[in-house]
Amino acid sequence: MKLTVSINLGGYFFNIDEDAYEDLKRYLRNLELHFAGEESASEILSDIETRMSELFRTKISSYKQVITIEDVNQVISVLGTPEDISDTEGKSARDKFTTPGYHRIYRDTDHRVIGGVCSGIGAYWDIDPVFIRIVFVALIMAGGLGALIYLILYIVIPEARTTAQKIEMKGNPVNIHNIKDSVKKEFNAVRKNMKL
Amino acid sequence: MDLENTKAQMRKGILEYCILSVLSKNSCYASDIIRELKEAQVIVVEGTLYPLLTRQKNAGLLSYRWEESQQGPPRKYYELTENGRKYLNDLDLSWQELVNSVNLIRSRK
Repeated sequence: MKLTVSINLGGYFFNIDEDAYEDLKRYLRNLELHFAGEESASEILSDIETRMSELFRTKISSYKQVITIEDVNQVISVLGTPEDISDTEGKSARDKFTTPGYHRIYRDTDHRVIGGVCSGIGAYWDIDPVFIRIVFVALIMAGGLGALIYLILYIVIPEARTTAQKIEMKGNPVNIHNIKDSVKKEFNAVRKNMKL
Repeated sequence: MDLENTKAQMRKGILEYCILSVLSKNSCYASDIIRELKEAQVIVVEGTLYPLLTRQKNAGLLSYRWEESQQGPPRKYYELTENGRKYLNDLDLSWQELVNSVNLIRSRK
């Protein structure tokens, strides 16, 4: 069973799976960012939405009444991502469409010893987490205050789960190329561990 | 040098020319334009068309009118303006010149 969302796209009503809706929303948001500098951005977007609803209508029948994530991906590949569109325009997509880089603190559980608090702080300030661990150990030796602080930080600081969060933790702007890079990095690490 | 990039650059100029050419025959709904461009294989992703149409409209080369449709909301029909026709004539000429130039160079041994 899946939750669906109802949307109005180009004057038509669609039932769409929740995961598909999230992808669609992200895609439209990216297009909006891409055309933000354009004189008639809202007109371009509404034209694209109209086309999108046309493509979605071909996916609907009395047997299949809900737009799925496959439909959304297929339609996105027909319409093209902002990167595809700007490639045809001959511009380099690489440095554009970067949402401003957030820099947030997360627990870095990839490099944790206990809960990833020290490694997270290290990643945030770009220092070796060993130094932070030494401070905590010293505080614990000096009367146990360190343990309490650690516990509070563990509860307060969220864990970096998604790739985007892991990038934010290091303060790099989150864009598709960064995500690609860090996925590649992770893949290589796994490969090394498995000695492939 | 990047082959894909060179191809994209070539296609870009031609695409604007092709849109105007499609519209020179009769006024069209955006999806009709897409169908023609896809058949001729001058467009890869559909999203490229919409910003071009809007830019050409803003430049006064195209205008559009809303037309009722039996299947749903009214549709935007684009057509060439007087300016657009002149612009297209100029492009026709320069396209012919380009083809001649390329042929000349390629035929020289």
